[in-house]
Amino acid sequence: MKSLWENIFRDKNQTEESISAILKKIPIFQELKDKELEAVERILHRRFYKQEEIVFRQGDAGVGMYIIEKGRVKIRLEPAGQIVAHLKEGEFFGELALLDDSPRSATAIAESDCKMLGFFQPDLFGLIDRNPRLGVKIVSMLAKSIGDRLKAANEENQEMRNQLMLLQESEGQPVK
Amino acid sequence: MNRYLKMLFVFIVFVLVLFLLKALAPLVRILIISALLAYILDPVASSMESRGLNRTLSTLVVFLAIMTIMAGFILLLLPVISTETRAIQEGLAAGKAQEFFSGLENVLKSKLQFLGMADINLTERLQSVFGSLGQQFFSYLLNVFSLVTNLVIIPFIIFFLLKDGREINKRIISLVPNRYFEFSLNLQYKMDQQLGNYLRGQFMDALIIGILSILALWIIGVKYFIVIGIFAGLANLIPYIGPIAGAIPAIIVSVMQTGDFSQVLWIAVAFILVQLVDNVLVQPLVVAKTVNLHPLLVLLVVIVGGQFFGILGMLLAVPATGVIKVVAQESYQSYKQYNF
Repeated sequence: MKSLWENIFRDKNQTEESISAILKKIPIFQELKDKELEAVERILHRRFYKQEEIVFRQGDAGVGMYIIEKGRVKIRLEPAGQIVAHLKEGEFFGELALLDDSPRSATAIAESDCKMLGFFQPDLFGLIDRNPRLGVKIVSMLAKSIGDRLKAANEENQEMRNQLMLLQESEGQPVK
Repeated sequence: MNRYLKMLFVFIVFVLVLFLLKALAPLVRILIISALLAYILDPVASSMESRGLNRTLSTLVVFLAIMTIMAGFILLLLPVISTETRAIQEGLAAGKAQEFFSGLENVLKSKLQFLGMADINLTERLQSVFGSLGQQFFSYLLNVFSLVTNLVIIPFIIFFLLKDGREINKRIISLVPNRYFEFSLNLQYKMDQQLGNYLRGQFMDALIIGILSILALWIIGVKYFIVIGIFAGLANLIPYIGPIAGAIPAIIVSVMQTGDFSQVLWIAVAFILVQLVDNVLVQPLVVAKTVNLHPLLVLLVVIVGGQFFGILGMLLAVPATGVIKVVAQESYQSYKQYNF
């Protein structure tokens, strides 16, 4: 009940950085013109989270990504409870859910009180229907962003394999 | 204790909402009709948006189109429908129909006396059934809420729902607590897709069948083909029973008109052909297949709908059950994907 009232009454009389200024810092939206950013702004959802509140759980169906406007978020792998990332203002997470319907691969928790912008798959699909040109721009930037992360993960993976091989060689074990 | 208080609170709110809905029934009816029409028209406005118009302009175009169609309906069709409905009602009391039904009544009385058909009063019964049918159908169209209110308010509500619907939706979903937010958003999207397909499909199906029936009856030369065609289109919303219910008025009117069965075969062929087109071409293209209702369930909900809300209840019982089925199905499927 409390959150219902909070959601009705907060968000008023607050001075804040404009949403388009925040969006311009996100790679997915960097190449958009002001008018296009306005169209994106209209479909974003502003959400507030208390410290230690769960944003989404590992295994739940994902619907989209979050951009941190204020506060910090940690990403935790279940069931080990291993923290794999700490994210701060201007960073984003959960973007894979914009493209596929697979369950969330980790749990996201607010490390401090947070203000976030949610960008969700249903709204993206609606935007693609109504404004295909803008939709394609966003999806291609999203693909590029995910590709960059994949490349980085590959490089990290390769680096680890190299180190493992070196370690095996130094210990005189056959390299597989 | 806290939990019981919450439950009591929810119950009180629920009862209050029910009372409010009942007290504001005419307004609620207008809102539901407008919301349904806005829902059906939304893709039209969106497709104009994708061609470069902004939302307000696309909504304005749709709004003007509706106003033009409504004006056309009032100026051209309404007087015809009004005359035709009245003529059908009056027609039963006069001339050939009276003769035909008294003849039929005598035959039934003499041949089927053993079945207790001695005091069947066929003519009287048909007159009363048709009279009340026509009155119910027509009084709903015209008198439930004043015609002017309906025709002025509904387009305006449609306009604002089409223009600001997304913003209203966003505001409503923003009230959902964080824990249920993604679930609600996901559910809303899936329901929107399923319901949209279903309702638009039903609407298109009724429209196409209505037009085809009007054409077929016009070609055969049945009187009052417009009103019977519209009824056939609406009746088609009821699976299994609807197509037959749609053909019966045409047969009765034709028998009244000619005094014999000369056109009945043609009417039956025409309705079978319309059904064939519906089943082979229209339904596979426009009606969502996900809402399959068991024939027994269809029969039961049509009876229940008829009991509570008359003819309108019978027509809307199946779409309403379809909506409930989609909502329940999607809620359950989505609920399974989240760990609450």
